[in-house]
Amino acid sequence: MTAKKKILLIDDDRDFLMATKIILESGGYEVFLAEDGKSGVEMVKSVSPDLTITDMMMETWGEGFTVVSKIRSIEAGKDMPLIMLSGVDLQGPYQSFEPSEESPRVDLVLNKPVKADDLLKHVKRLLG
Amino acid sequence: MAVNTDKGLILIIDDEESIRDGCKQALEKSGHVVLTAENGKEGIRIARESKPEIAFVDLKMPSMSGMEIIDFLSRDIPDIVSIVITGYASIVSAVESMKKGAYDYLPKPFTPDQLRAVVKRAFEHRNLKMETRMLRDEKEQMEKNFITFVSHEMRSPLLVIEQYLEALRAVAGRCLDKDANDIIERCNKRIQGLKALVEHWLDISHIESGIFEPEKNPVDIPGIITRSVEEIAPLYHIRELTIETDVSDDIPEVTGDGESLMRVLTNIMGNAAKYTPSGGKVSIRAGHDEYYVSISISDTGMGIPKEKLPFIFEPFYSVKREGEEQKGSGLGLNFCRKIMEAHGGKIEVSSQVGKGTTFVLKFPK
Ligand SMILES: Nc1ncnc2c1ncn2[C@@H]1O[C@H](COP(=O)(O)OP(=O)(O)OP(=O)(O)O)[C@@H](O)[C@H]1O
Ligand SMILES: [Mg+2]
Repeated sequence: MTAKKKILLIDDDRDFLMATKIILESGGYEVFLAEDGKSGVEMVKSVSPDLTITDMMMETWGEGFTVVSKIRSIEAGKDMPLIMLSGVDLQGPYQSFEPSEESPRVDLVLNKPVKADDLLKHVKRLLG
Repeated sequence: MAVNTDKGLILIIDDEESIRDGCKQALEKSGHVVLTAENGKEGIRIARESKPEIAFVDLKMPSMSGMEIIDFLSRDIPDIVSIVITGYASIVSAVESMKKGAYDYLPKPFTPDQLRAVVKRAFEHRNLKMETRMLRDEKEQMEKNFITFVSHEMRSPLLVIEQYLEALRAVAGRCLDKDANDIIERCNKRIQGLKALVEHWLDISHIESGIFEPEKNPVDIPGIITRSVEEIAPLYHIRELTIETDVSDDIPEVTGDGESLMRVLTNIMGNAAKYTPSGGKVSIRAGHDEYYVSISISDTGMGIPKEKLPFIFEPFYSVKREGEEQKGSGLGLNFCRKIMEAHGGKIEVSSQVGKGTTFVLKFPK
């Protein structure tokens, strides 16, 4: 049996972390949780996940992108597949966030809530 | 709450030297700082520079008229209180200047006491004005914060519950029997309903609080009709309804916000689907005449009783019908009307019970 692939999940809502962890574990992955961007970046170093899923909106607007830049700047995170989840506040006509040219590379953006099947399918593809 | 930020700065604009000096002396005695100018141009320059709280302006001066100066000051210097000095105490010119934004007038000749009394009133007036504005700003800010707060505090838990339901399905879906899965499905339905309610409420609150302003872009009507039809097609398929469009090809563009207009269309098309029994038909037509660009959406559904028609655009109003299992939030049409009004347009309805309903969106040309 091969070792389980490791997924790091970064989000500031603990319940959202738990729910998503359950979904990912049902797909046979080992899941690590970080409740804020800073510890998320630390864990990329300490855990070397095979894939990271991060929230787009934490504390401050666009914080997710800051986290992604930081992750991309460390060796373990340079080429790792990365999924960004866009939160509720992105919908609606009054707020929009357009990643710019300089935004760090994100492999996929999904809307919250994510369908279990969709999430597992994309994760599998990105790890494939 | 006191907003006393007064510097006590007063500007006198008068071409008569004796008046300028007299006022300056009298007001400096009661602790004010007084600046003077002998003509309009200089007065405006000083006003711009030092932002006085009160300005006395002589109505009759050679170069620039007092009326023009007042007009300028009230538009350019925030919260300034202007008072007219008028030699020929004619009510007509005084009233005229007050229309231009002057707060009071002072007929010549006047005593230092009269002058000080006017100044006192003017400062009181100014403080009141500023206090009112501050309170209004504060209230607006609170409303906006409240909307943002509710938006976040209501959407986040809903989202998490949805995610947990997904998790439950992921871990146990296959092991659960049909009844249990049905329960999950029901939870999901109710969450979707609550989510739609929150979204509607937010949309409307944003319009009402002025946070949302429709974008002023050219909107391609046939384009948004096509996109709306595509978006709603799965629902029509499930409900076994046919959808028919007839869009004339010379429709002029309207100015507005394509996204919100699409929401209007999908809302009305959604209603048409919701209130039309399967096998029915929904027709969408777009055309224009001399005055309007119009889109009509007709269904062959259950219709709306005549006496209920005046209320359907009101918030939270839904028509109660026998055996209707699921009620909507009653905010959909309210949203539609608000968006149409924000576009300078209107929404009209006609209906016959048992035959069908037609909504018409009209944009002024
Ligand atoms: N095409 C239609 N045919 C018959 N009745 C309609 C139609 N469109 C609207 N109505 C009636 O008008 C009422 C108000 O509609 P509205 O869209 O505002 O609310 P809703 O559909 O009940 O809820 P939601 O906010 O979810 O849209 C509805 O309760 C419905 O009974
Ligand atoms: Mg509706």
